[in-house]
Amino acid sequence: MITITINDREIKLEKPVSVLEAARSAGIKIPTLCYHEQLERYGGCRLCLVEVEKMPRLQTACTLMVADGMVVRTETEQIADVRRGILEFLLINHPLDCPYCDKAGECDLQDLVEKYGPGKGRFKEKKRKVPESLQDPVIVRNMDRCIMCTRCVRMCEGLQGASAIAVINRGGHSHIEPFSSGRFDCEYCGNCVSVCPVGAIMSRLHRHSYRPWQVKEQYETVCPYCGVGCTVVTQVRDDVIKRVIPKLGSTVNNGMLCSRGRFGYEFVGSKDRLSVPLIRKNGALAEATWEEAITLVAKKLGNIKSTYGSDAVAGMASPRCTNEDNYVLQKFLRVAVGTNNVDTTARTGFAGAQSFIENIFGQGATANIISGLANSDTVMVIGGDPTTVNPILGLQIRACARRGGQVMTVGEFEGLRIFSPTKLLPRQFTETFLLEGIVTALREKKGLSGANAPLEGKIKSINVTAADVAAKSGVSEKQLAAYVDLLAAATTFSIVIGKETVQSIGGSYKLLLLAAITYLANGRVYLLSEKANEQGALDMGCAPDMLPGYRPVAYPEFTKKYGAVWHAELSEKPGLNLFEMIEAAEKGTLRAMYVMGENPVCNIPNSGRVEKAFKNLDFLIVQDIFLTETAKLADVVLPALGWGEKDGTFTNMERRIQRVKKSVQREGMEDWKIVAEIAKNMGYRMDYTKAEEVFHEIAKVSPLYRDLSYEDIEKGENIYPYKGEPLRDVKEDIQIDTSAVSAAAGKLYLKVERPLFHSGTMSTHAASLMNIYPHAVARIGAGRAKMLSLTEGDVVTVRSKAGALSLFIAIEKAGDDLSVTISNNFESKGAFRLADYTLDQVTKAPCIDAVEISIEKVTA
Amino acid sequence: METILLKNIQNPNSADIAEYKKAGGYASIRKALGMEPQQVIDEVKKAGLRGRGGAGFPVAMKWTFASADPKFPKYLLCNADEGEPGTFKDRPILEKNPHLLIEGMIISGHALKAEYGYIYLRGEYPAAKHILNAAIQQAYDTNLLGENILGKGITFHLAVHQGAGAYICGEETALIESLEGDKGQPRIKPPFPVNVGVFSKPTVVNNVETLSNLPYIIEVGGETYAKIGTPDCPGPKIFCISGHVEKPGIYELPMGTKLRDIIYTHCGGIKGGKKLKAVIPGGISTPVLPPDKIDCPMDFVNMPKHGSMLGSGAVIVMDESVCLVKVCHRALKFFEHESCGKCTPCREGTGWLRAILGRIENGEGMEGDIDTMLAVSANMLGKTFCPLGDGAASVVQNFIKHFRPEFEEHIRAKKCVVNG
Amino acid sequence: MFSSAAKQEIEDIRTKYPNARAALLPTIYVAQREFGWLSSEAYDAVADLLNVPKATVRGVATFYAMYKQKPMGRHLIQLCTNVSCMILGAERLVDFLKITYGVEPGGVSPDGRFSLVIMECIGACGTAPAMLVNDDFHDNLTEKKLQEILEKYT
Ligand SMILES: Cc1cc2nc3c(=O)[nH]c(=O)nc-3n(C[C@H](O)[C@H](O)[C@H](O)COP(=O)(O)O)c2cc1C
Ligand code: SF4
Ligand code: FES
Repeated sequence: MITITINDREIKLEKPVSVLEAARSAGIKIPTLCYHEQLERYGGCRLCLVEVEKMPRLQTACTLMVADGMVVRTETEQIADVRRGILEFLLINHPLDCPYCDKAGECDLQDLVEKYGPGKGRFKEKKRKVPESLQDPVIVRNMDRCIMCTRCVRMCEGLQGASAIAVINRGGHSHIEPFSSGRFDCEYCGNCVSVCPVGAIMSRLHRHSYRPWQVKEQYETVCPYCGVGCTVVTQVRDDVIKRVIPKLGSTVNNGMLCSRGRFGYEFVGSKDRLSVPLIRKNGALAEATWEEAITLVAKKLGNIKSTYGSDAVAGMASPRCTNEDNYVLQKFLRVAVGTNNVDTTARTGFAGAQSFIENIFGQGATANIISGLANSDTVMVIGGDPTTVNPILGLQIRACARRGGQVMTVGEFEGLRIFSPTKLLPRQFTETFLLEGIVTALREKKGLSGANAPLEGKIKSINVTAADVAAKSGVSEKQLAAYVDLLAAATTFSIVIGKETVQSIGGSYKLLLLAAITYLANGRVYLLSEKANEQGALDMGCAPDMLPGYRPVAYPEFTKKYGAVWHAELSEKPGLNLFEMIEAAEKGTLRAMYVMGENPVCNIPNSGRVEKAFKNLDFLIVQDIFLTETAKLADVVLPALGWGEKDGTFTNMERRIQRVKKSVQREGMEDWKIVAEIAKNMGYRMDYTKAEEVFHEIAKVSPLYRDLSYEDIEKGENIYPYKGEPLRDVKEDIQIDTSAVSAAAGKLYLKVERPLFHSGTMSTHAASLMNIYPHAVARIGAGRAKMLSLTEGDVVTVRSKAGALSLFIAIEKAGDDLSVTISNNFESKGAFRLADYTLDQVTKAPCIDAVEISIEKVTA
Repeated sequence: METILLKNIQNPNSADIAEYKKAGGYASIRKALGMEPQQVIDEVKKAGLRGRGGAGFPVAMKWTFASADPKFPKYLLCNADEGEPGTFKDRPILEKNPHLLIEGMIISGHALKAEYGYIYLRGEYPAAKHILNAAIQQAYDTNLLGENILGKGITFHLAVHQGAGAYICGEETALIESLEGDKGQPRIKPPFPVNVGVFSKPTVVNNVETLSNLPYIIEVGGETYAKIGTPDCPGPKIFCISGHVEKPGIYELPMGTKLRDIIYTHCGGIKGGKKLKAVIPGGISTPVLPPDKIDCPMDFVNMPKHGSMLGSGAVIVMDESVCLVKVCHRALKFFEHESCGKCTPCREGTGWLRAILGRIENGEGMEGDIDTMLAVSANMLGKTFCPLGDGAASVVQNFIKHFRPEFEEHIRAKKCVVNG
Repeated sequence: MFSSAAKQEIEDIRTKYPNARAALLPTIYVAQREFGWLSSEAYDAVADLLNVPKATVRGVATFYAMYKQKPMGRHLIQLCTNVSCMILGAERLVDFLKITYGVEPGGVSPDGRFSLVIMECIGACGTAPAMLVNDDFHDNLTEKKLQEILEKYT
């Protein structure tokens, strides 16, 4: 116990902290500027100087650690003078443009000057002048307001790990540069904006439309983009979200955000939003009333059901919609229509991988705390760049590296490059051999404990020598041995698996090998999750074979139980998965589809095929917030309220249930409400009046969410296994798909880009993200480009068996010569147009890593 | 007095190892390597050696801290940044007697159980870099550096790291940052370098001149060495005198030699028989002295009592023709240029003071300028992150303190009153 | 891109330090020599070779006065004007250089022959005023001596 005295008050401290932290813990305020609780200590601004007995000089409270018996004074006349003096220094070159500055009202400098003075300046010399810069797509800089606290730089280097900015020059000439201009690794996270204490770095999105005191409401909610589920705060004025900011101390992201989370909110108020129902009349979509639309849908579905049977109808739920929405949709299909034909695009990767891993390690095996990555001593990454797919999770891996942990990858991930991961780069399509080699060597090193018999059975059957690995994959025996040594030395091991692995040929076998590595290294698994509520949609039973809480439909005890709560008789026949739905639509056995909050024509591989299949349906209902490619094909389009406009919950990849809150008022209905209305019209009552009531029902039926309430969630009882018991340890026989391909010389293959600045197609309705990444491009390695005489900006036709796209070329200096990388974020220009696939027989994920393509320059 | 540090430097090949050995060089090393590290530290303690880089910190104490830290490896850094304007005392050792420094470093390395040494050499000394590298190579070739030195089972590696023009890198933590490949900005202390220094390992930083005393201390023993100089500050000191004296240059004299004697006895008095106007006794950061204050013994303990500091022992002598507003302005230009920019008072204050002084020099002084300068320097002094900012503030304060009328006249006359 | 000789040189430098980052300052020196000055190409080469972020390399390099952010003349005059040199006439030498060679502090002479950089003490105060031309010291300068010396640098 350390006892110190501050301003005659005794303060007792458990562990050594800085004098500043000690003072704050006792409610004593010491002004600061360069200090920020998230950042490394700096001690540069000198505002926090205090008197300490027995020390001749004044000391900075932010850097001085407490020592037993220390006597500190923070409010003497000398100290007041010092503060005034420092503030005067900070103002001499400051433009004093507060009336014009968006920061006014929440500016630390303004507040401090108001409190300590000086009332007037004595500076009669020329001021430094720096013009306002609008060079960045999302940030506006007024660098003559900068006070050189370097908080932005310490944020960018130390926490974000982008190192896109630095202090340039020195002394009075120092300034912060270069931000983006595209050239300097800027990730546009805007975390520098969060920590800038003055108006030097601000978001461009609310320039001159934001005044802190005019913000009447703010809501703590969850980011709509990826499966990390960051806490964001929406700040609203006149029913418009003016700004989205992170919250210090929030559990998942503790004050950090990525570019999507911070700047991607503009889709909410977008002009392109659907506002009235549309009904296809004479081949064209025309505006209709809600009543018309709902009765039409109810009638049509009723007819199809009675003519062709319930299973002629299918529904697609949404990883963008809330748990409540998804729950109601699957219930609607199961009770009002009477089919288990429900699935989501989580099927394209996350769902299958999760059930595969859970089958080996038990339910909840992938529900690991994201911050655990930073505390791991070894993190292995495969199948996707976590810093772009799940950026805030990516930061945890960077933090692991910074703390001296081992980061190891299979493959090259740009976002981890400067963290110098230990990496293995196997030749194309030889990853499996490499992983087999790792498993073999690791098993020899670590032995088997006998804890997991089915898995050990598989592990024992794997025998690939290092020499074999070297011959096939090009990874040398030495490299492999070094890698395995690191794995064997790990004490807290984590493995991060991205979709590229799941969506590759032999994906389930690779997952088995990765599970084996995890098992041998005694680690835990993280599955990258692209959309905000993939986990939730699965938890809600948006799967053809599972009821909410992963109760198999094929077990009568469960269908009976759920049927009793739902007052309906449930089908015990597993429904069609996503891909089977498409096949059935092609064949004509599926007659109608209800697509909620999803854009399958873009988001399912081989989009052309999906489009054709959908056109073959008798009746297509699309419920969305935008007129997507899929919606354009619909017979009825139902406009829903979107994120920011409705209440509910999301469940993130850690299986943390979090509240999504309504921030702005908009006319219309929530997804669940629309579905409930249709159900009512079909004669099945769903009388929920608000999302919370839906959640009550979820908490009643799903063992996973048992007895939870919104209150519990707010209190933080929101992380798996919640109040309910974890489900049984499903250990069925481990099935694998060992399909394989080999690379054909000279061929080009398609690679799907998962960019930092986009997510699905929703982000393309956010103007700022579009400014950063405006249109689809085909990225090609410099070597290949040269071979094909392509230069940056050329237009090419990229062709595969499945389709063709015309795209601009972007040349990647470090890109390989075997692939062309295209994102799947731009409607009608998505990589999935080209992505013909086969299905992994176990995970049912589409394998899209062997799509051969050709590229051809379009001559002007 | 027999010279110790500047011995033989006038010989044509003084930088060559053979020449150095001929004059008895590298004899101490055998002796030192035969001693226990602690014995070496004890000798240095008896010698009462204080650091010659400017602060005068007791060397044995610093070494004891570093040697007590259990972390390995340990590092010995030689501060050859010699950036303090007016100072050119280390350069002759670096260029003409590099083996003296290398021998001193090997001895110190042994005392500290440090296996790695770097000489942080300022970028402005390109010739010294080549000379040092050649000397280091000679030392490696003769097994004085590297593994198992002279068969004694001791390892010491030495390399030169060249700075690139930043005065602040003379400050030891800034030096460490710079050696690690970063900007030379001072670090928060504690932790002190002796515990967490370069590459986070225990590190001792000593000046070139400091380290060059070691062979002699080992040769004659601490007690004999301590008889040179003053009781609180024993040993020889290299003084470097520039400006208006008859014989400027470097002089190795006992610590505590009076400033007046340095100027009038050793340097032959003021050039051309002119009148002395002011002296900066220890490099530009030390307080200026008027002619009636030069009867002070030049050492770390006595100088502060006489209103200035020993600093690096760089004496700048100015005769009556010199405009002190101009000198003060030039000094502040230096501080503004060299401020690392980390802390507010130094970054903003140096520029502000420079701007006012520039105006006064240009004949645009205003009533109240002197008071503003005093207020600005008061707001800096004691509030900066490192001593550089203090130095800048105290330069202005002392120029005004001793020569206020000259500043006032400049303002009033709106032109230079010394040189028209 | 660095020449392979330069790469080898940097590789050798790296062995003197426990990590690559510590080799940053000497590597920037090599880049400056190879590229003539720190063009953005030079910066990229350093950043790529040492795997240090570009902005960080720029931040570090611009902190130090001796790293050149602009193209240089054939010969670099580094003239000290700090107090000891100033009181012995260094400013007159600056004027002389301006008039005789047309080179301003921080600039390049019109014929591209000389760059002039004003220095903060080069440790030659006892023989002030002094300068470095490229790597060579010259001291006790007068206008006449200055011109004689510079004529040797063509
Ligand atoms: C701004 C500043 C500049 C300094 N410059 C030098 C220098 O150029 N050379 C030097 O030896 N010490 C310099 N020092 C002192 C060093 O910080 C340090 O005290 C010294 O290297 C320790 O060595 P010593 O104990 O042998 O003197 C400087 C200190 C400060 C605050
Ligand atoms: S006083 Fe401050 S700004 Fe000046 S050199 Fe020291 S740390 Fe840097
Ligand atoms: S807050 Fe302590 S120095 Fe800035």
